[in-house]
Amino acid sequence: MTTGSIEQSERTSLEPPVTSTLLLDWVSTLDHKRIGIMYILTAVFYLAIGGCEALLMRIQLAMPNNTFLSPEMFNQLFTMHGTTMVFLVGMPVLTGFGNYFVPLMIGARDVAFPRLNAFGFWMLFFGGLLLHFSFLTGSAPNAGWFSYVPLSTKAYSSLQGVDYWIIGLLIMGIGTVSGAINIFVTIICMRTPGMSLQRVPLFVWMMLMQVILIILALPALNSALSMLLIDRWLGSAFFDPTRGGSAVLWQHYFWIFGHPEVYILILPAFGMISEVIPVFSRKPIYGYTFVAASSVAIVLLGYGVWAHHMFAVGLGMYADIFFAVGSLLIAIPTGIKVFNWTATLWGGEIRFNTALHFAVAFLLQFVIGGLTGIMFAAVPIDWQLTDTYFVVAHFHYVLIGGTVFSLFSAAFYWFPKMTGRMLNERLGILQFWLWVLGFNMTFMIQHFLGMMGMPRRVYTYADNPGWALLNGISSLGAVFMAIGTLIFLWNIGTSLLRGKVAGDNPWDAFTLEWATTSPPPPENFTVIPEVKSRRPVWDLNHPKNADWKTEKTPPDKGIRPNMAKLAAWSFIASEAVFFLLLLIAYVVFNTRSGEGAVSSSVLDVERTGIFSLFLISSSVTFWIAERFLRAGKKSAFVFSLGLTILLGITFLAGQVWEYTGLLTNNITINTDLFSATFFTVTGFHGIHVTAGVIALFVMLMMGIKGNLTPGKSHVFGAVGVYWHFVDVVWLAVFGIIYLGLLQ
Amino acid sequence: MNSVIPVLDPASPQAEAIHNLFLLVLLISAVIFAIVAGLILVAISRGRQRQTLPKQDFGSEKSEIFWMIGPVLIVIWLVAISANLVITLNAIPQADPDGKTDINDIDLIVTGHQWWWEVKYPKSGVITANEIYIPADKNKKFRVQVSSDDVIHCFWVPQLGRKIDAIPGRDNFIWLQASQPGSYQGRCSEYCGAQHAWMNFKVYAVTDAEFDEWVASEQLANKQPKLLSPLANSGKQFFFQATCPQCHTIYGTPAEATIGPDLTHFARRKEIGAGVIENTPENLALWLKDPQALKPGCKMPDFKLSDEHLKQLVAYLETLK
Amino acid sequence: MSSYFDLTSELWKWNSPIWLLVLSLTGLYFLFHRGTSGKRSVAFLFAMFALAIAYISPIGVLSDGYLFSAHVIQHLILLLIVPLFLLLSLSESATEALFSHPFMNRLGRVMAVPFVGWLSGLGVMWFWHVPSFCNASTENYALGVFRDATFLLAGLAFWWPIFSPVKRFHLPSSLAVVYLFSACLGCTLLGIYITFTVISVCPAFANPVDRLGIMHFLYDQGLTPATDQRLGGLLMWIPPCSLYVCAIMVVLKRWYAEMEQTASPKTAGTTSSLREARQ
Repeated sequence: MTTGSIEQSERTSLEPPVTSTLLLDWVSTLDHKRIGIMYILTAVFYLAIGGCEALLMRIQLAMPNNTFLSPEMFNQLFTMHGTTMVFLVGMPVLTGFGNYFVPLMIGARDVAFPRLNAFGFWMLFFGGLLLHFSFLTGSAPNAGWFSYVPLSTKAYSSLQGVDYWIIGLLIMGIGTVSGAINIFVTIICMRTPGMSLQRVPLFVWMMLMQVILIILALPALNSALSMLLIDRWLGSAFFDPTRGGSAVLWQHYFWIFGHPEVYILILPAFGMISEVIPVFSRKPIYGYTFVAASSVAIVLLGYGVWAHHMFAVGLGMYADIFFAVGSLLIAIPTGIKVFNWTATLWGGEIRFNTALHFAVAFLLQFVIGGLTGIMFAAVPIDWQLTDTYFVVAHFHYVLIGGTVFSLFSAAFYWFPKMTGRMLNERLGILQFWLWVLGFNMTFMIQHFLGMMGMPRRVYTYADNPGWALLNGISSLGAVFMAIGTLIFLWNIGTSLLRGKVAGDNPWDAFTLEWATTSPPPPENFTVIPEVKSRRPVWDLNHPKNADWKTEKTPPDKGIRPNMAKLAAWSFIASEAVFFLLLLIAYVVFNTRSGEGAVSSSVLDVERTGIFSLFLISSSVTFWIAERFLRAGKKSAFVFSLGLTILLGITFLAGQVWEYTGLLTNNITINTDLFSATFFTVTGFHGIHVTAGVIALFVMLMMGIKGNLTPGKSHVFGAVGVYWHFVDVVWLAVFGIIYLGLLQ
Repeated sequence: MNSVIPVLDPASPQAEAIHNLFLLVLLISAVIFAIVAGLILVAISRGRQRQTLPKQDFGSEKSEIFWMIGPVLIVIWLVAISANLVITLNAIPQADPDGKTDINDIDLIVTGHQWWWEVKYPKSGVITANEIYIPADKNKKFRVQVSSDDVIHCFWVPQLGRKIDAIPGRDNFIWLQASQPGSYQGRCSEYCGAQHAWMNFKVYAVTDAEFDEWVASEQLANKQPKLLSPLANSGKQFFFQATCPQCHTIYGTPAEATIGPDLTHFARRKEIGAGVIENTPENLALWLKDPQALKPGCKMPDFKLSDEHLKQLVAYLETLK
Repeated sequence: MSSYFDLTSELWKWNSPIWLLVLSLTGLYFLFHRGTSGKRSVAFLFAMFALAIAYISPIGVLSDGYLFSAHVIQHLILLLIVPLFLLLSLSESATEALFSHPFMNRLGRVMAVPFVGWLSGLGVMWFWHVPSFCNASTENYALGVFRDATFLLAGLAFWWPIFSPVKRFHLPSSLAVVYLFSACLGCTLLGIYITFTVISVCPAFANPVDRLGIMHFLYDQGLTPATDQRLGGLLMWIPPCSLYVCAIMVVLKRWYAEMEQTASPKTAGTTSSLREARQ
C-alpha cells in the first residue's frame, strides 16, 4: 500500500485526556468535524457583526444629508464590512464546510494534517480578533476593503487602522493557506480505494480547485501587504508617487489576488449546488465532466483577468481590450455550469424543499449577477458604471445571491448529517421568502442608483431626485434580511433541541457522507461502501439502477503521493508566488531610466557570489545526507546534515556582513527604491533561510537521537524540497539583483 | 435641470455610444435571463408532479457543445463591438474623421485634491475650481489631462462619457465634449478619504459665444470695484491678515498659495465646497462660520471667526467676480 | 493608402521562399503518410496554411523590421500553431513504425521528458527577446532564418509530451496540466515584462527602415513604437495562454476517458460491497 496509509496507521490516538471539560474538548480538538463547526460558528459570529455594520450603513444612507453616522464612522464601517464579509465570513464558512465534508465524502478518517488544521483555524480566529480590536482603539481600518494606495499610506492614513488591517490579514492569510494545503493533500492522498479523482463528488472537486486558487493567489496579497507595511512602518516609498513609487502597482498586486479571491468564494458554492440539485431531482448531475473541466478553465482563466477591476485606471486601450477578452471568455465555463444545473433539474423528480428553494434562487440570482458582470466586461460600460452602486449591486448579487444562498441551501441539506436532526421546513420557507424579498429589494434597486450616478463609498448624498426614495427602499430590504437571519438562527436552535431525528440518509442522497451515522462517529466510518462510480451510496441503495452498470468512469489507479512531500511542494508553490511578486517589484522599480539603479555600485557582487556558492553547495550536502539517511548510514547522515546547516549559517553570516556594510554606509530600507526592494527581497529570503536552518536543526536533533529512521526519510525529503526551493529563489535573486539581468 | 438617470441620458457622442452599447447588452442579458429562468421554472413545476424515478441521465457531450455555440457566438460578438468602441472612444488621431485633432494639444488640466477639483485651461491661463466650462459643440472635443495631487480620485461626468482615474504621479487623458448646452453633474468616483462624498463638480456646456465671454472674464485679473464698501474693505484687510493666503490664491494679490481652491473669481461660482452647498451670501457665511459642520474632515479648519469678521469676509469674497 | 486585406498591396509578399518549405513538406506528407484520415489532412493543411501566412501575409511583411507586435504574432505561429497541427496531422499507426527504431525511440523518450520540451519552448522565447539577439536576428537575414527554424523545432519539442502521435510519449494527465500551466506562467512573465517595461526590448523595431513607405500608415493607426511594444507584450501573453488552456481542456478530456483497466476491475480482492474502514 502507499505511504499515505502507513502514516494513518501510525497516528496516535485522538482520545481526549481523562479530565476535560466540554470547552477544553473543543478548544483542543484535532477532529476535522469539530474544527469545521468552529469555522462555521466563527463565520456566523462575524456574519452578525458584518451584518450590523451593513445595517448601520443602510440607516445612514436611508435619507439624504443624514447625520446618523459621521463620515469617519461610515468609512470605517464600509471598510470593515467588506473585509469581515470576505475574510471572516465567506472564506471561513466555506473552509468549515470543506473541512467537515471533504474527508467524509472521500471516505477518509480525517484530514491529512489534523494539527495543522487546528493551527489554521486558530490563526484565523486570532487574526479576526486582532482586526476587530482596532475598533476599541477608535481607529478601525478606513481605507476600503481593498485599501488603495496612496490613501492607505501613512501620509494619508496616519492612524493605526490600516496597520491592524494589514497585520490581521497577514495572520489570517497564514491560517488560510495552511488550511488550503491541508485540504489539497487530503483530496489527493486520502481518497478511499476505488475513488479515482475522476469520481470524486463535485463538492470535493470544487474544493480542490478552490484550494489551488488559495495556494497560488493569497501570496500575492501577502506581498502587497508586506510592502505596504514596510512603507508605513519603515518609511520606504513603494507606494509613494512623490518619491518614485507607484500608486498603480498596489492595484495590480491586490487584484492579482483579488480576482482569484472571488472564485475562491464562489467555486465551493458551485460545488454545494452541484450536490443539492441532483439529490432533490433524484438524478445524477448532468454532464459531470463538463462541470468539472469548466471549473479548471475558470481557475486558469481567473488569473488572467485581474485588470478588469482597473479599466478606469487608464492602462491603455490594448491592455483594456485584452483583459476584456479574458473576462468575457470566463463567462463561457460559467454558462456551461448553469446549463448543466438546469439540465439536471429537467426531467427530474423534484422534491421542492427548502434546500432546493435556496438552490433555485441561487441559480436565478447568480445568473443576474453574472450578466451584470458581462456588462462590466464590455469595457465602455465599465467606464460608466464601475465604482458606482451598479457594481455594488453586481457583486452582492454574486456573493449574496450566489454564495450566501448556496450556503443556506447547503445548511438545510447537511444540517441533518452534522447534528442528526432535521431543520424545520416551514421556518425554512419563511426565511427563504424573507431573504428573497429583502435581498432583491436592497440590491436590485442599487443597479438603478448606479445608473443615476451614485458613486460607491459615499457616506451621504444630496437630495437628488429619486435618490432618497430608492435608498430608502434599499435600506428597508436589509431589515427583511435581518429578520430572515434571526429566523434561521431560531430554526437552528430549536431544531438542535427538538428537531425530527434524521437518520443516516434522510434524503436518499448519493455520496459517502450519507453512508455513516448522523452525526458521524469520531473515526467517520465503521464500514465504507465500495466505490465503483460517482455515486457510491446510490449504488449501494439502488443496486438495480447502480451507476456503474450504465456509466463507466475511470477507475482508481491507486496513485497516492507521499503526503509530506506533496505538502512541501504546495507550500513552496505558494512561497514562489510571493517571491515572484517581490522580484517583479524589484524589476519594476529598478528598470526605470535614469535615477541610480545602484546595484552594481553598492553591492559587492563577487563576495556575495562566494557566499552564494556556500548556499548552493548546502543543497548538494543535503542531497547527500538524504541518500545516507535512506541507506541507513546514521553517522554519515548526521555529518552531512551538520555540514548543510553550517553552510546555511555561513550564507546567513555573509548576508549579515553585507547588510552591516550597507547600513553603515547609510543605505537603509527607506533610502530609495533600490534599497527598499533590495532589503525586502533579500530580507524575506534571509528569513526563509533562517527558518530552514531551524528546521534542519530539528531534523539533526531527531537524527542524533535516532528518531529519524530510513522509513521516515520522506519527511526529511519534504524538508529538502523547501531547502532546495530556498536555493533556487536565491539563484533568481542573485541573477536579477546582483547580476542585473533584466535591467 | 439635473437629469434623473444620467447614464441613460447621454449628452455627448461618447456617452451616447456607451449608452447604446449598454442597452444592447442589457437586452441580450434580459433575453438570456428569461430563457434560463423559464427553463428552470418549467423544470421545477413539471418535476414536482413527477412521482416515479426519472431516467438517470448522465449528460450528452453533443448537447453541451450544441448549447454552447450560441453563448460563444454572443461572446465573440460582444468582444468585437466593445473592442471597437474602446478604440473609437480613445480616438487616436485617425479615428477622428476630420483629422484635425492633435492628441498632444491639451485643452484642460484637471487635478484632483482631497476634496476638490483644480481646473486649469493652459491655453488661456484660466484657473478655477470645481467648475468646468466647455462650448457645447459637436465638433469641438476638449483634450483633458487628468491627474491628482494626493491620492487616487476619479473624474466622472455620467452624461458626457467615461470615467477616468486621477492618479498621483501619472497623467491620464480623455476627451470631453457635449452635444448640447446644459449643466452636467460630475462626481469623484474613487474613494479618496473622509469627504469623498462631497467632491462633486459641474460641467457647464455653453454656446461658443458664451464660452469665449467666460474665458475672457476669467482671464482678467480680479477687477474689483475701485471703491470697496467699508465692510468689504475691512474684509479684505482681514483676509490678508489672517491665514487665508496660506492656502488660497487671489490673482493680483499677495495670496498665491495653491493648497486650497483658487478664489480669484469665487463669487461667480455656483457652489461651495465641491458641491456641498449653493454659493449664496447666506451659505457662504455658514461655510466660513464652520466648514467642518458642513463638510466634516475637510482640510479647511474651523477658524472660529467672530460674527463681525464673518460679515466682512462675506462682503469681500462677494466682490471677487 | 494600403489596406491589410488588399492582396495586391505591398503588405503581402507572394514571392517568399517559404513556399519551398510548404510545398516540400506537403509532398512528403501525402506521399509517405499512411493512415491519413480526413481530420488529419485538414490539420496538416492548416499547419501549412499557418506557415505560409506567417510569411506571405502582412504579419510576415511587417515582422521584418517594422512592427514588434507583428514579429510576435509570427513567432507564436511558428512556435505554437504550426508544430501543434503538424503533430496532430500524424497518425499513430504511421509514426509508430518510425519510432520503434532504437535511435528514434531514444529521441522520442528524450523529447518526452517534460523539462526538455518545457525549456525548449520557453527558452527559445526568452532567448530571442534578449535585446541584442532580437536585434541581430531582425537585421541579419541568415540569423533570422536560423531563429525561425529554432522556433519550429522548439515548438515540436514543446508539444511533444502532450500531442505526440505516439501515445506512450505522453505525460500523465496531472503532470501535463502542470506543464501547460507553468508554460503559461513563463510566457506571462515575459509578456508582462515586455508590456510594462520602459526599455525597448527589440531596438531594431523602435527605428525601422521604411523600405515600403508605409510608416505613416502605421503611425496613423496609433502603432507608435511604444504602443507597438505594449501590444507585442500582450500578444505574447494572452493568446498563448488561451491556447494552453484549450490544450488543458483536451488533456482533461483524455483524463476523463481513461477507461482502460490496468489490473482487475475489482478493488483489493474483496467481493462484498462493503469493506472494513481502515483504522
